[in-house]
Amino acid sequence: MKAVITGLRRVVALVGLPIVLLLVWWFASADSHTAAMPPLKRILKVFPDTWFGERLTDDVLPSLIRLTEGYCAALVIGIVAGVAIGSSRTVRAFVEPVLEFLRAIPPPALVPILFLIAGIGDTTKILVIIAGCVWPILLNTVEGVRGVDPVLVDTCLTYRVSGLLRLRTFVLRSASPQIMTGARQALSVGIILMVISELKASTDGLGYTFEQFQTRFQYPQMWSGVLVLGLIGVVLSLLFRFVESRVLAWHRGQRAAERTSL
Amino acid sequence: MRMRRLAALFAGATLVISAAACGGEKTPTTPTTPGGPDTVNVGVIPIVDVAPIFLGESKGFFTEENIDLNLDTAAGGAAILPGVDGGTFQFGFSNAPSVLIAQTNGLDIKAIASGNGTAGDPDNDFSGLVVKDPSITRPAQLAGKKVAANTQGGIVELAIRELVAKDGGDPNSLEIVAIGFPDMVAALDNDQVDAIFAVEPTLSAAKAKGWSVLGSFATIDPKMTVALYVTSGKLAQENPDLVARFTRAIKKSLEYAQSHPDEVREIVGTYTNVPAEVRANMTLPGWPTEIDSGSLDTLADLIVKYGVTDTRPDVSAILS
Repeated sequence: MKAVITGLRRVVALVGLPIVLLLVWWFASADSHTAAMPPLKRILKVFPDTWFGERLTDDVLPSLIRLTEGYCAALVIGIVAGVAIGSSRTVRAFVEPVLEFLRAIPPPALVPILFLIAGIGDTTKILVIIAGCVWPILLNTVEGVRGVDPVLVDTCLTYRVSGLLRLRTFVLRSASPQIMTGARQALSVGIILMVISELKASTDGLGYTFEQFQTRFQYPQMWSGVLVLGLIGVVLSLLFRFVESRVLAWHRGQRAAERTSL
Repeated sequence: MRMRRLAALFAGATLVISAAACGGEKTPTTPTTPGGPDTVNVGVIPIVDVAPIFLGESKGFFTEENIDLNLDTAAGGAAILPGVDGGTFQFGFSNAPSVLIAQTNGLDIKAIASGNGTAGDPDNDFSGLVVKDPSITRPAQLAGKKVAANTQGGIVELAIRELVAKDGGDPNSLEIVAIGFPDMVAALDNDQVDAIFAVEPTLSAAKAKGWSVLGSFATIDPKMTVALYVTSGKLAQENPDLVARFTRAIKKSLEYAQSHPDEVREIVGTYTNVPAEVRANMTLPGWPTEIDSGSLDTLADLIVKYGVTDTRPDVSAILS
């Protein structure tokens, strides 16, 4: 019985606010005559025709593929560079000013420059996503690697745990909660940049579709795209939570153990 | 405690959303002091095409009609037309196909005057389809290639497709890429596209590279109405006097611009950063006072032909 109630409460917590917001939106927009802000009813009506057809494979899929490619590349670059920088105080002192400089450049500002260098194809769009996603991952990895337990550093030395074994079982593992935090931030940055990179000089993708709806004055369709983006965000964050719970299972166990031992 | 927080959140959300919903329903005209001039907001694009309204303002044509002009520059018709429909702008300037498409999609827009037309000469227009590769000599050779247009679904995309189709090429095999006019020359120079469709002053910059022009708006129809001045149906009904006065002033401005090209070249420098030597030599569009409804019919046909809208735009609904 108790389990049922807890389960129910979790469901309410998950969908409660979205339902309230949708209801508010529904009634507030019901008699809107402004073309740019159509009633939610019309938005939902055009939703299936707009998205459950060719657009799913021709626009949504290319966007998600580019996001995946850019995000994965950013993960690799961020973690590799982060471990290198985090492990050495000298390297850190050397690169930190440059990192701060590069980090401050908003990736959307790079779009016109990248068009000239990398062309108007997928490369530019993926580079834009990497340019934004890499920072949270890199900086969190640096912090995570820098903050490893000094006692465990000594333990590794004593037991002659070194090289790849040390990297895999000690450095990456103890930095992993921080790395995951960075990866989560990078995911939302990636979704934003996925859309921005497609707004101009594009021939497919969600951003391209948005631009097309706007220039063609198809406002209900444009708003339905906003819903699609939100849904993509929710699905990706659920997916991320699943991966995180696997990767950080040891961490959660450890924290729980620490809590009970207090 | 938790309930109260939730209630506050709910109230906040309601406020935000209802404020957003009301945002577009401004009063169509700014309240003015009795006997004083009417202040109107006009949405324009900072390009050569709108020179007449800037010229008319400086010549006092709008003051004569008791209108105080407030010119707001926006990036394009896609940003101006919803503003006209929602009441942010009382009048606006937009390319003609966008007006037709907007009306088809439920925006309450009426055309009141011609914005600009072609220069009248197919071989020397203010617009042009430009290629860099000297082996491309006809539009049909662009089939299957990448061509830059300033926006998707606008007059430029329609013109590109129609030029290729008229020459016997497959218009649907083209890949249209949205690149703003100022970035087009660099894009073609770096071979990111195979052709661009530019208007002045970008066209001058492209011609200066020695590239060749394969066609223009005037190739499709020398009398084409390229852009329109518009207002909302609501304002036309509620304040026909203001609309009539604005229309008179803008027509006078168009007439003046048509017969005083030197003053046009001068005033363009006040709201764009086109250098003086380019302004002196570029091809100016034509500024007829009357809308060529035949060319609007042509554009309506092209809009359906190239799948921008499903139903053919109703030209008479725009003009009524």
